[in-house]
Amino acid sequence: MSTPPPGRLLVHGDAPPPLGRDLAVIGRSINRRDALEKVTGQAVYSSDMTLPGMLHAKILRCPHAHARIRRIDTSRAAALPGVHAVLSLENTRGWHTYWYMIAQPAFPEEIAYAGQEVALVAAETVDIALHALGLIEVEYEVLPAAVTPREAMKPDAPRVPVLDVERPREGNVQQPIYLRARGDVDRGLAEADVVSESHFTLPTQYHVDIQTRCCIADWDGLRLTVYEASQGVWNVKRELAKSLGLEEDRVRVVVQNMGGGFGSKAGAQRVVHYAARLAMLAGRPVRLELTRPEEFLSHPRRYAGEVTMRLGARRDGTLTAIDAEIVLDIGSGSLYAGKYTMTLHQISELYRCPSVRVRIVAVYTNTSPTGPQRGVLDPIATFSTEAAIDDLAARLGMDPLALRMKNYAEDFQGLDDTTPALPYTSKHLDACLATVADAIGWADRDRLAADARGSVRRGVGIAAYCIERGGYAPFSAKADVVARPDGSVEVQAGVVEIGAGQITILPMIAAEELGLPAERIRIHHGDTDGTHYAPSSHASRITSEVGPAVLQAAAMVRGRLFELVAPQHEVSPLDLVAADERIHVRGVPARGLSFTAACALMSEPEIRATGSRAPNPDDVIFRLFGAHGAEVLVDVETGELRVVRIVCSHDIGRPINPKLVESQQYGGAVMGLGYGLYEEAELDGKTGVLLTPDVHQYRVPTALETPDIEARNVESEDAFYPYSAKPVGEAPLVGVMPAVRNALRHALGFGIDALPLTPARILEAIAARRSADAG
Amino acid sequence: MTIAISARRQVSFTVNGRPCSVEVPARRTLAETLREDLGLTGTKVGCNRAECGSCTVVLDGRAVFSCSVLAVEAAGRRVETVEGLAGATGLHPLQEAFIEHDAVQCGICIPGMLMSLKALLDASPSPSEDDIRQAVGGNLCRCGTYPNTVKAALAAASALRARAGAGR
Repeated sequence: MSTPPPGRLLVHGDAPPPLGRDLAVIGRSINRRDALEKVTGQAVYSSDMTLPGMLHAKILRCPHAHARIRRIDTSRAAALPGVHAVLSLENTRGWHTYWYMIAQPAFPEEIAYAGQEVALVAAETVDIALHALGLIEVEYEVLPAAVTPREAMKPDAPRVPVLDVERPREGNVQQPIYLRARGDVDRGLAEADVVSESHFTLPTQYHVDIQTRCCIADWDGLRLTVYEASQGVWNVKRELAKSLGLEEDRVRVVVQNMGGGFGSKAGAQRVVHYAARLAMLAGRPVRLELTRPEEFLSHPRRYAGEVTMRLGARRDGTLTAIDAEIVLDIGSGSLYAGKYTMTLHQISELYRCPSVRVRIVAVYTNTSPTGPQRGVLDPIATFSTEAAIDDLAARLGMDPLALRMKNYAEDFQGLDDTTPALPYTSKHLDACLATVADAIGWADRDRLAADARGSVRRGVGIAAYCIERGGYAPFSAKADVVARPDGSVEVQAGVVEIGAGQITILPMIAAEELGLPAERIRIHHGDTDGTHYAPSSHASRITSEVGPAVLQAAAMVRGRLFELVAPQHEVSPLDLVAADERIHVRGVPARGLSFTAACALMSEPEIRATGSRAPNPDDVIFRLFGAHGAEVLVDVETGELRVVRIVCSHDIGRPINPKLVESQQYGGAVMGLGYGLYEEAELDGKTGVLLTPDVHQYRVPTALETPDIEARNVESEDAFYPYSAKPVGEAPLVGVMPAVRNALRHALGFGIDALPLTPARILEAIAARRSADAG
Repeated sequence: MTIAISARRQVSFTVNGRPCSVEVPARRTLAETLREDLGLTGTKVGCNRAECGSCTVVLDGRAVFSCSVLAVEAAGRRVETVEGLAGATGLHPLQEAFIEHDAVQCGICIPGMLMSLKALLDASPSPSEDDIRQAVGGNLCRCGTYPNTVKAALAAASALRARAGAGR
């Protein structure tokens, strides 16, 4: 295994000096700091706010999946008493909204999906706004729609008007078709003793944030303030400024609490742009809140994929070829359609294999836009690779874990023939697999499966994952730490607390560096005023990108305090240590003073330091690894699938707060179970109308379905991360679906290749299998 | 063009032990009245159609979806919301346990979760794990805190029993 270069904290400038003592805060399961206001109902979300003179906006949506607006007349709506502003194509031609800085027409002439925005009204009350929508006259020319990728790929298919400003394409297929390969896959397949071919159908998934999108925009004639439910205040600020033609300084975005995002609220959503423009037109604050059905109709959902995997292997299990073809449904727009490399790491890096080919065909359809959701494209790649490995194991008559270990890749496997073989920052996937196998009872799995009770079968499955996380360009996160003469300390970071613990973790880092308990550190967050740029809280990135900046800033403040204290004790600042709310001479706790007394020595009003994240070095590869195990019971008469147990083992480095890490792992597993077992949207194949726009029909998991979930993480050093804390966030979802599917395969003796694994789908597969066996 | 205004009614009930009286349109939901007329925004509305549970409050001892109860239906009755959960002596054991067991992530479902469990624990001091799952079976949490919800509810039940025992 190639050794990585020595790890270092990724900050601009000098690395902070060591603490000179054991860690006192990092690694402790302290309670999250926002829990108190959340359990008392005092936490204010954007939907809880009221501003004086606030108007209410509602959206008119097109009922057709594909249509051209021939004529729109909003004059009667605008004339209704109580209506203050109307937006539509009529008065906004050429206006673009921005989502991840990608331009989208605010109101296109040609509608791309059923539910797309056609007009908005801001009025004194919601009732008046709704009434006004009914007065808007729209004449549509209804056009034929291409609802599925297969239809949309046909040469004579209707051309989908893409929401993102046009990308190159042929028909509805985005160009160029993505192809990456290493080695000669055709030769690898020809040389194989066994070629196992699998076809998987992975559905879309909706985020179902329990807080529906809600923003309040307030324009005072000079400056726009937006109270939002977004994952990233700085992203929203930049996108709004660009869309509205305002200098960035004239846009302030505030998110103190937000009720779930999971990727769907990572940038400036269309509703924010609309609310802002309405507020500027009306000269009064405007509140725009989506209903639950509107959430389903319009927000960028997860990609759906159809995947063909062909694995070639020698009789002894040695892989000779991995050939993957993925057809993605990217709906009527997808900023991440260009991020295909996300599918690569799983497919091409997880196993040592001389030849790998990944071909991705991304197809536009007349359906709602797609976008990032917890794990983005990783679930498609992970499911396909790990389910295909179990199918191959069955063909070879091999134990699926033994097959994985037979082909285990110690070293980075290049994405293509030109990729240099660089080391990973760290990789302990083998330990994760062993841990999961041990916890899930792998050694006993065949005895468990033989223990059939009546019509109930039992199965155990496993899946590994390899995903690309650990920081993203432009690597410009900054954070301030401020100490004041009264001994108070504040972290100022432009991050949003999305529920993952961002505002608990960052103060823990500052506390550790300053020798204080975490509760002594305040944090100013979720506001573009008073903070520097920080990335949106998505892509599992805050601890690894903003964490180093906070650490560096806190260490700089400590250094400045040491300079004040050192002369008093006639020592060098290098001889001091900050611990237990004191600054004292190393090894002599009595020779020192309290942290508060040290702060009182400052002559200036505050000591402020700015930490700044440096880019990831390019001589080392950043990936996350781990494994999931599942134990399931399936009733072959009713098709009911019950997941009894999920085990997660994440190659975590060192957790900053183990309790919060486990919560992420529970949450990821639950969302993965929803994707794998319950969540199924139905679209009318002819009209493209979503038939299931509610949480009654689109079922997300409840406490009733949630199994026992156990986290057994593998710890190690990885100095490229602050205190070795590797990201968590999304990884806990990606291996769940294949582990469950493989457990079901183990129970039934054959694989089911479409998600979700509903009773109907399971019964259908069992019946098909029986008739095939009989035939 | 006129907008139909539904008939208004004067409605009196208690909220968290305090009497209150509001004039509301007959079609106004209890959730709207709590949030918009009384300023009690701790109660959340995630779907407004009795599907997500985030608006759960306790009405005469029973957990209800306040988006699907009319304000006029609450007349003369006792309404409990998350704002009333903590008493003069401090947090309710459910709140303490939710904090300690990290049963909170984004927090939007938490008021509803807590009120479902409050109704359960008031009626049944020694619930089983299954009773707890049933009690919050109508409260969706997309962050997936459920394993911690169950742990927290068991701990709170135990703390409440200990407190009741000590009070005897």
